[in-house]
Amino acid sequence: MTHPAVELDGIWKRFPGVIANAGAGLTVRPGTVHAVLGENGAGKTTLMNCLAGVYRPDEGHVRIDGRTMIFASPADALAAGIGMVHQEFRLVPTFTVAENVVLGAAPRVLDTAEIERQVGEVAARFGFQVEPDRPVWQLSMGERQRVEILKALWRDARVLILDEPTAVLTPQEAVELGDVLRRMVADGRSVIFISHKLDEVVSFCDEATVLRGGETVAASVPVADVDASELARLMVGDVAVEAVPIAVAMPGDPALTVDNLSVRDARGLVAVDGVSFDVRSGEIVGIAGVAGNGQRALTDAIAGLEPVEAGTVTVMRTDVTNAPPQRRFAAGLAYVPEDRLGVGLAPKLPVTENAVMREFRTLRRGPLLNWASARAFCDRIVERFEVKIGKRDAPLAGLSGGNLQRLLLGRELSGKPDVVVASQPTRGLDVAGVRAIQRLIVQQRDEGTGVLMVSEDLDELLSLADRILVMNAGRIVGEFNAREATRTQIGEAMMGTTAEASA
Amino acid sequence: MKRLVLRRREAAVRGGQPIAFVVGLVFALVVGAALLTISGDPVFDTYQRMWDRSFGTADTLSATFNRAVPLALAGLAVSIAATMGLWNIGAEGQIMFGATAATLVGRIGADWPSPVLIVAMLIGAALGGALWALGPGLAKAEIGVSEIITTLMLNEVAVRLIVYLQTGPWKDPDGFGFPQITVKPEGSQLGIIWERSHLGVLIALAVIAGFAWFVNRSVWGYELRIAGASAKTAAYAGISMRKKVLGVLVLSGAVAGFAGGVELTGTAARLNENISNGFGFAGIIVAALALMRPSGVALVAVFFGAVQVGGQSIQTLGVSPAVAGILQALILFGAIGAAVLSTYQVALVERKVVTP
Repeated sequence: MTHPAVELDGIWKRFPGVIANAGAGLTVRPGTVHAVLGENGAGKTTLMNCLAGVYRPDEGHVRIDGRTMIFASPADALAAGIGMVHQEFRLVPTFTVAENVVLGAAPRVLDTAEIERQVGEVAARFGFQVEPDRPVWQLSMGERQRVEILKALWRDARVLILDEPTAVLTPQEAVELGDVLRRMVADGRSVIFISHKLDEVVSFCDEATVLRGGETVAASVPVADVDASELARLMVGDVAVEAVPIAVAMPGDPALTVDNLSVRDARGLVAVDGVSFDVRSGEIVGIAGVAGNGQRALTDAIAGLEPVEAGTVTVMRTDVTNAPPQRRFAAGLAYVPEDRLGVGLAPKLPVTENAVMREFRTLRRGPLLNWASARAFCDRIVERFEVKIGKRDAPLAGLSGGNLQRLLLGRELSGKPDVVVASQPTRGLDVAGVRAIQRLIVQQRDEGTGVLMVSEDLDELLSLADRILVMNAGRIVGEFNAREATRTQIGEAMMGTTAEASA
Repeated sequence: MKRLVLRRREAAVRGGQPIAFVVGLVFALVVGAALLTISGDPVFDTYQRMWDRSFGTADTLSATFNRAVPLALAGLAVSIAATMGLWNIGAEGQIMFGATAATLVGRIGADWPSPVLIVAMLIGAALGGALWALGPGLAKAEIGVSEIITTLMLNEVAVRLIVYLQTGPWKDPDGFGFPQITVKPEGSQLGIIWERSHLGVLIALAVIAGFAWFVNRSVWGYELRIAGASAKTAAYAGISMRKKVLGVLVLSGAVAGFAGGVELTGTAARLNENISNGFGFAGIIVAALALMRPSGVALVAVFFGAVQVGGQSIQTLGVSPAVAGILQALILFGAIGAAVLSTYQVALVERKVVTP
């Protein structure tokens, strides 16, 4: 009898005040792609970190090919054939692909040509499209991910853990990733695929293990035998999963007008190139596009975080083109940035201090901050937007992704904005979190707010938005009526193959 | 196979810092004892002397407190800059220029009533320190010049300025030709509050507590925490990084300059180029030992002051200055090690235990 490639048995991992894993288990057969499903906070990443040597479990066993292992470090795990691709890539931008792949495992004398040849060989074997001599900073996120996978394969990892790998990929790149995974399992390797996107799990994976509240609620379910809604039910428990109801939009006057806007990025390259559009009160305008086509620069410029090269930004007939962010907020513009923890929130600071980041100027009493008002303000957001927090004075970092986003969105909506600019507002959230955020956004629209929403999830835009603008290379290359457009039409515009507007 | 690794603690140990501190101290004393034995000095007598001259009697303890005052204020200055990730390496020069400014005020108001004179001198010292940090602050805020370089270089300028004043405009007419500055006015001496401790001890405590309170409660302090957390978040919240960088460096300079004023009015007889006595650099260590928390600098400064005073005292026993210096360094190493051990742990870990 062959042993499982990976067997995690009765894993407990406790952190101060939190039990991340409460006897979770996972069995992965060799030569399979195994999905680990669960909401944020279900303990997926902790369990994987126990397998990859990042943490040591408090209790429980880790068996690789039937042998019990205790890993003191990720290097030990890697030596035993366990490789992990984390959500944040760990690459040196100025190094080439080949240099990054061999980093930490390179021979003392680096023969660049030889290493590039070896890396190219490994890549070819698994069907990767990479150029080993390209520096990493020139690569797209999808290409960088391939470099991370190559790093593990070059070290001959038998088990590859991918933590939400498709979050940074275009639909096409995701399909390519699926092909690579197939080749890996055909080679006798195993893949553990962490995700909460059910459609991906169904199309990529052979078996699924579902975690909830740190426990395994369904182990090694053959994916072919269950449908997506069954998996969703297992993930969220008894919470019903239903689509967000959408009423017919009643658009009014323009709330946000962007006219001929151009923005340069930090490297001085044109990131947004003469973009013009309106967002009217009571409509949701979606911005679709492959990551890195100027979406971030566009929303940052609208919010006042990036200087405008040319053109104007108008919020409710007030020209805010050169206004600082707080003036724009006062003019009625709320902003949910893509990088929540790096821009929109300060994770090391207490919940209260994060909650008042927009309002603190109105909460002053002489030179002092009125802390009683600040706490009351924080409590109102927490209550109204159902944010689950521990202590108000504890650092924000302990909150789960969904609660962080609720707090951020709640803070932005507390100013009763006329326009909400939301960049990737549901990315990385669990099913319940995605629904909650989507519902809040639709509710804002129904109350007459204009919403500009950037998302890489086309299905999300198709279901929520009234109009969809497609960005490619810093320009708006297509405008679609979201009720009539198809994925294919928009997908083609995203790739820049057709540039015809249809709406 | 087993091996030793240093790894980050997943959770802070309750009361871990004091325990680690004691362990670090014992370690330093044991190694120090070996060193003293090798150099042929009496171990017990040496340690006895260090204790007696730092904490042992009311007289020495009160002197240690005096020593701690400039150390604590310099440490506070460094930790203020550190809240924004800035390094003020120029507290030394700011102390000197602060004391210079206080001396100028003293020369102008020599016959003012004592309390007025002292308050004026201390304010002058703070303004002087702020002025000395203004240049680096503007250079950093406006064009991104490294404050580490600029603050450090201005230390030397402050030394030269005092030497010039000593030999030129402020030369003591009653100094028998010696290049020294006239003694400070009579009314500028801070009063004694306990044994040898002067009023500066209370003033320093009040400044530290006041600063900690202000940062916790004020809008300015709130903005400072956001700006210190992330420049991007600060921009998002509409907080100007330029103003915060400038403000923090100038305030840091003001506190260091104030330390110079307290040292002049409390301990020194006159301004000279040794008024700062390395306090500005020691302040960096004090701030580091206090883990860059303004509230911790007072306690650390007393400890640091005691090590300095105690370390110097054993030279009169015949312990060589080199050995005395090594002893001081060992104790500080032990304390810094303690700070490391409260966040990291040394663990003996098994490596890939395999059972069939």
